[in-house]
Amino acid sequence: MSALTAGVKRFNKENWKAYFLLFPSLLIFAFFMFWPFIYTIYLSFFDWNMISPTKEFVGFQNYIDILTDPKSYKIFGNTFIYIAILLVLNCVVPYVFAFVIDMVLKRFKGFYKGALFMPAFISLVVGSILFTWILNPVSGPVAIILGWFGLEMPIWSKMDGWVIFVLSLITSWKVFGYNFIVLYASINGISRELIEAARLDQVPLWRIFFQIVLPMSSATGIYVFIITIVQGLQYVFTPIKVITQGGPNYASSNAIYHAYHEAFVLYRTGHSAALSILTMVIFLVLLLIEIKFVERGIYYEN
Amino acid sequence: MKKLVILFTFVTLLLAVSACGKKEEATTNTTSNESGKTVIEYWHVNAETQGGKTVDELVKEFNAQSETTEVIAKFNPDMYKGLMQNLQAEAAAGKAPAIIQVGWSFLNYFANNFEYSSPQAIIDQYFPEDKTFLEDYFLSNVLALAQGPDGEQIGIPYSLSTPVLYINRDLLKEAGLDENGPKTWEEVKEFSKTIKEQTGKFGVYIQQPADNWATQALLESNGAKMITDGKATFASEEGIKAYQLWADMVLEDQSAPNLPWDQGIQSFIDGNVAMLYTTIAQRSNVQSNSQFDVAAIKSPAWEGKSPKLPAGGAMLAITAKDEEQKKAGWEFMKFLYSIESVAKWTEGTGYVPPRKDVAEAENGLKDFLAENEMMNAAIEQMDGVVPWTSFPGDAGLQAEQLLLDVRDQILGGSISVEDGLKATEQQINKLLQ
Repeated sequence: MSALTAGVKRFNKENWKAYFLLFPSLLIFAFFMFWPFIYTIYLSFFDWNMISPTKEFVGFQNYIDILTDPKSYKIFGNTFIYIAILLVLNCVVPYVFAFVIDMVLKRFKGFYKGALFMPAFISLVVGSILFTWILNPVSGPVAIILGWFGLEMPIWSKMDGWVIFVLSLITSWKVFGYNFIVLYASINGISRELIEAARLDQVPLWRIFFQIVLPMSSATGIYVFIITIVQGLQYVFTPIKVITQGGPNYASSNAIYHAYHEAFVLYRTGHSAALSILTMVIFLVLLLIEIKFVERGIYYEN
Repeated sequence: MKKLVILFTFVTLLLAVSACGKKEEATTNTTSNESGKTVIEYWHVNAETQGGKTVDELVKEFNAQSETTEVIAKFNPDMYKGLMQNLQAEAAAGKAPAIIQVGWSFLNYFANNFEYSSPQAIIDQYFPEDKTFLEDYFLSNVLALAQGPDGEQIGIPYSLSTPVLYINRDLLKEAGLDENGPKTWEEVKEFSKTIKEQTGKFGVYIQQPADNWATQALLESNGAKMITDGKATFASEEGIKAYQLWADMVLEDQSAPNLPWDQGIQSFIDGNVAMLYTTIAQRSNVQSNSQFDVAAIKSPAWEGKSPKLPAGGAMLAITAKDEEQKKAGWEFMKFLYSIESVAKWTEGTGYVPPRKDVAEAENGLKDFLAENEMMNAAIEQMDGVVPWTSFPGDAGLQAEQLLLDVRDQILGGSISVEDGLKATEQQINKLLQ
């Protein structure tokens, strides 16, 4: 009892300022994150076309529709393929690049850093439009160059599989630089004495990478790993929207794009909301798994 | 510290109050201004690059010459859907603009959910001198675009586009073909095959955006009907035959590329595809970027049949509530449909003029058409214009989407035309029930 009153007292006297100062950001969070989230849950139980003034309550029908639709599984499958490809392109490859540029190369480091980071400045919409032209399978420059060697470019934008790969490439063009710079900074921060000692002992480069660099930069590594997954969901949206609109026959759609498609193209807000909630649940589970199994092995400097 | 807190609270309050104040101001001054003119709102969807400048120009011109009315143009982002949403919000607040643009696909939704006045009713009531304005200046099939299912005139067609066939004359000549292009779809197929064989380039690209506009033109021109009595009927013999021709060109002859819309247009512009079937609204893009002898010809027909071309674009509807506003609305609309205004609208947007007598008139498009010959193809085929089918009811958009899905499947070769169309037709009819 006395502890409680003490707590209340402390809250009154000491903490109110802190809470007060937190209030603006809390307000923003509430408006732009919590409220939309609650509203999405609410909408997922209704049939509504976004224009009509009445919403019809349908219970779990939206969820049932989604779970019984084979299209949904295709789209979730695509979502994971995107993530897998982007993990390679945007997490593994930049890791290796950062290592090579920091520890192996002797010259032109500044140039590489600048050149690789450059695309991060350019809007992904602009990038997507550029790539639509560059990779136009009939008349784009890449198709012309391949033509010199007698190769024909697949019409990727209309082929299952290819379309996901190319859209991932376009996305990674944008995201690569940022991930690379972050990893580079982390690897750069590893004590040089350790590396020099290993080199004196004739430890091969691949072992330096796997046994020294990787564990010592793992805190940043896990950060890049997670934002790659998040970006795999979100950034891919732009090239999908600009280039394929989810086609051909949903072969390039992912969960986020499809939620958009349902809500703002077909105006089925209930379906869209239910799909968003399901997507969130899946990723919540993935996050819990990550916390339970991966987080333990991470080395935090401080 | 305390001072800071007070300051913060004060600023927050001030912001809230001033926001409210602004809102109130906006609601009160819509009926008349200082000089006693009736003030009306005109809602449009034309962004700066899509004719927005022309809208402003026309409104300015109108306001300068009108003694009774002042028009305020309001741009609505996100095209016709955005405008519908804003109209919904406005209606919920008990207000309405006077004149709005309604996209064809929203025609039924608009008529079922909003208050409007038929233009003819307003004319009859207040402007007997304009009694025959509509019949005199519009083709009956064009007027029919803006009619509801029961034949009531809901609005007046304003922005019109139709599909045309752009041709690369240089490539046609190179392949030894008639440089005036094909007249029928059967010829399109032959031409394409010859072009593929002679030049190695693709023959034709038929547009594949996220709608079924061109598909409807192809199928209905062959005598199929997208909808009969509220049911999907496109999988008829004629429909399947028409679709088969497209699929054959893509899959069998490989003379038509299966590309998204923008890549298709690009490939025509840089000379890798000899013919392009797409909207007249792409004219200025094609015209200014093509490096070869380019022309636009009328939509091909099917052998022995006359083409039926869905209209893209929008109509103008009167949503004004009180008498003064309605009168002012018609005054402005009449101005917009004058030869000069329509000519400006066509030049600024690339749409086909909705009314007669504009193409030949000196104060109309005579000079413009002399310079932009490609526009003629679209103007000449106005007698073949039919409404753009929108599937009825809430499931309409889903039905539309199913047709897009099957297009990908058919042209991707994963399903035959007959199976695909029949299955889709069944699915759609199930949805529409």
